[in-house]
Amino acid sequence: MDVKATSEKNREGKRNARERMQAQREADEAASRRRKKLIAGGSVFAVIAAAVVTGVIVQNQRSEPETPAAAPAGTTGDKNLVIPVGAANAPSVLTVYEDPRCPACGSFEREFSATIDQLEDQGKISTNAHIVSFIDRAVPGKGSKSGANALACAQDAGHFRDFHDVLYRNQPEETNDAFGDKAVLISLAKQVNGLDTPAFEACVNEDRYGGWVSSVQQDFDKSGYRSTPTVLLNGQPIYPKNGNDQITPANLAKWVDAANQGKQLGTPGSNGQTPAPTAAAPEANNPSPNAG
Amino acid sequence: MAGPAAPPGDCVPTPAARRTVPAWTQPLGTAVRLGLAVVWGWAGLAKIADPAEAAQAVRAYELLPEALVKPVGHALPFLELALALLLVIGLGVRLVAGVSTLLLLTFVAGIGSAWARGISIDCGCFGGGGHVDASQTEYLQEILRDTGFLLLAGWLLWRPRTKFSADGWLAG
Repeated sequence: MDVKATSEKNREGKRNARERMQAQREADEAASRRRKKLIAGGSVFAVIAAAVVTGVIVQNQRSEPETPAAAPAGTTGDKNLVIPVGAANAPSVLTVYEDPRCPACGSFEREFSATIDQLEDQGKISTNAHIVSFIDRAVPGKGSKSGANALACAQDAGHFRDFHDVLYRNQPEETNDAFGDKAVLISLAKQVNGLDTPAFEACVNEDRYGGWVSSVQQDFDKSGYRSTPTVLLNGQPIYPKNGNDQITPANLAKWVDAANQGKQLGTPGSNGQTPAPTAAAPEANNPSPNAG
Repeated sequence: MAGPAAPPGDCVPTPAARRTVPAWTQPLGTAVRLGLAVVWGWAGLAKIADPAEAAQAVRAYELLPEALVKPVGHALPFLELALALLLVIGLGVRLVAGVSTLLLLTFVAGIGSAWARGISIDCGCFGGGGHVDASQTEYLQEILRDTGFLLLAGWLLWRPRTKFSADGWLAG
């Protein structure tokens, strides 16, 4: 064994040790990078999963129930979402989905409310009113919701039809959120005899039927009907056309008479609505004469 | 440790052979990251206030069964806010950019399918949503807008390293 061989062996051992250390350091660094990536990726997934779960739970709790906790007096349907107008035993049923803030509903009402009120008073139809409130989603403001609540309050007081007619005759332009102002709604209520009472004002001001309004809207969301006004006669869409025929006040009366042929007319006033001074109600307070 | 003493054969390639990335991409990436964060934050906040409205915006696409409409409508704004938060702090940017890309592609596909089927809806991208008059649909604008957002997400997929990010801090 000579000196040269020993030194050779030594050098080799040193190099091996250096390589091993180097490899170890690289392995450590790679492991550390992997760990950091795992931490970042894991945190991302944790945050996203937590957000999704929170969203489902929180938003579900924040949602208004589909069945309202309180509904206005006299409402019908399995969840009390419908306001009936006219004789309950009338042979034909007119179903109307309307948003107080919807301009097309305003022009429909200005053209047809007198005829519809008359058909109701003759016991020929009863109307099922669905007060929708979705314009607020598209146009800033809360006129749909507060207007719908005020209509619910009027129903509670037995003056739905008259107040409904007054509201539509005084409808502001869609972009004008006048109905979002409760004072405007209360002031319009003065046009209906006996409606503007402290009870009605409190109902409007405290948004008493806000939950009911939301339930009605959710019902509309699921109804498959997409716009307002949606008008059905005995379940058949008649607005803007019934088959090939354009709806007009005369046609509406004609269609109702045809549907009622040979049937017993209903007893008017059985829904406790006051007789209508509607056709004569003043339009002086209209905040926007150009509405519609 | 080895320093200049290391013999030529002992030379180790720089870790993972990182390609050099131009220095200016990092500040630009930060701007892109924050821009996308604003988009998600805005979209999430706009949808969060009214759960019923968010659900209806989803329902109007007529793509999901009723049982999924509410969970999706309710979770989506929170998911968007989570993405915004992660982008602001810059954690897992490439992964978040990937999720953003998937989500945006889903949105574009949804809008495109509504357009193709002739359904008249507002995309509900930033609140609102649901059925609108056929004359009021804005499918092309909505898709172009989302494509712009896709470009932001795509940039971050490609160059996820940005200044002032938790990723940078983690990587030391």
